[in-house]
Amino acid sequence: MAKNVIIAKDLYLEYKKDTPIIRDSTFSIKSGSFVFITGPSGSGKSTLLKSFYGELSPKKGILQIGGVSLVDIKSSKLAFLRKYLGIIFQDYKLIKEWTVKKNVMLPLLIAGYSKSVCEAQTARLLKHVRLSGKEDYYPLELSGGEQQRVAMARALAHNPVIILADEPTGNLDEYSSRVIWGLLEGANEQLGTTVVVVTHSIPSNLKVPYKHFYIEEGKIYEIS
Amino acid sequence: MKSLKNHISLIIPLFAILFALEFYFIVDKAIHYYESKLSKDYSIIVVANKKLSIEEMRVYEPDIASLQELDSSLVIKRLKASGIEVDYNELRNFLPKFYKISLRSFPSSQKLIQLRNKLLKVEGIKRVETFTKVHEKIYRFLLFLKNISKLFLMIIFVTSIMLVFKQIEIWNLEHSERMYIMALFGAPLWMRTAMLIKLSVIDTFISSLLVYALYSYFINSGYLMELLGVEQLGVSTSDLIKDAFWLFALGLVISLFNVLVVSIRQPKTV
Repeated sequence: MAKNVIIAKDLYLEYKKDTPIIRDSTFSIKSGSFVFITGPSGSGKSTLLKSFYGELSPKKGILQIGGVSLVDIKSSKLAFLRKYLGIIFQDYKLIKEWTVKKNVMLPLLIAGYSKSVCEAQTARLLKHVRLSGKEDYYPLELSGGEQQRVAMARALAHNPVIILADEPTGNLDEYSSRVIWGLLEGANEQLGTTVVVVTHSIPSNLKVPYKHFYIEEGKIYEIS
Repeated sequence: MKSLKNHISLIIPLFAILFALEFYFIVDKAIHYYESKLSKDYSIIVVANKKLSIEEMRVYEPDIASLQELDSSLVIKRLKASGIEVDYNELRNFLPKFYKISLRSFPSSQKLIQLRNKLLKVEGIKRVETFTKVHEKIYRFLLFLKNISKLFLMIIFVTSIMLVFKQIEIWNLEHSERMYIMALFGAPLWMRTAMLIKLSVIDTFISSLLVYALYSYFINSGYLMELLGVEQLGVSTSDLIKDAFWLFALGLVISLFNVLVVSIRQPKTV
């Protein structure tokens, strides 16, 4: 029986005082599961994801990731927790001044791996995301699809326990989308990584079983 | 090219601050040099009816550097030259003793009055001549120079603060996004700021070295003496080396303060 890796109880999230984005929501996500969070625009999908990686602290309720409470978490503890997360952002969030290789290496460097391990792992991942030969390019020299694939490689680099993806294929071409979904499925199936994806639409050709949460008017509903 | 730009954008303000500071240090040293020279040239004449010793005088004023008895024949010579008809051999027996007192530092006008009063309390001292008018003129000029250099330091300080804040803004724009993304992946503070710390150390070193090299050239070529209109500055190469270490330390404090502010001012979202 898999353990719950994300636990939320009476979760309350807000940006402005007394203007809740998420309220009184209780749910849990099991370790090794593939989860979709959907809902209309502005429903709070990305806000919920932000709370998972500590960008937004819950105002009320309980939120735990891997047994660590995210309510009023200390920055040192948050930094420690983030080492176990792989985050994919809708706007990629690549470091523009760094090459593709260095961007992918980032979580490995933070985790303290040796240079040779970093180099080998980066080369392997760039091959997976079909970007071999573009190691020394800068993000702005790549297309949107390629940048998202770099972000994907970066998120997978340190074999995270949980992958959090915010609209990972939002503006991508079909080829890049296929690569991204394939890698997310692979991480889930082969490595047992928990994958939480915020999206507008769930891809129809997904091979792995998944859970579906729907957000509407600040409440989270488990659909399947 | 970008890296060079990054270095230059820090080196220029740091160099400006350190160059101006070193200028202040040099002017301050030159003033002190002239002050000590003046104190050597300046002396007080004391007339006493008994023999005085320096140990006895230092009990009243520890700042006394030397006490020298003046030859009374010089006084006799002057009187002879003025044509006064007296028995000079007899007069010699009645003449009091004249002493020249030098001080360790150039005294302020106020201190000079206090010193005069103290000396008059010494047993046997009948008269103290401090040449107040001449002293007052020199002292006021020295005070003016000191105040000018202090004002200069204040201007440097204000300008430095402005330059520091400007640099913080530049660094904030250049590095906050990178530092924020690194934080999202759990990078500790030292790792997020490592690049800026490295930049600070290298650029402070370059700036201090440049300031040292320039002043070394200005002093050795005599250009600075010519510019200030003085014969000597009282600043040696070892003084400049010592200053360079201070400037490096100060420059490092300034640039690390920038790093600290930039790391604190990281945005919540980019």
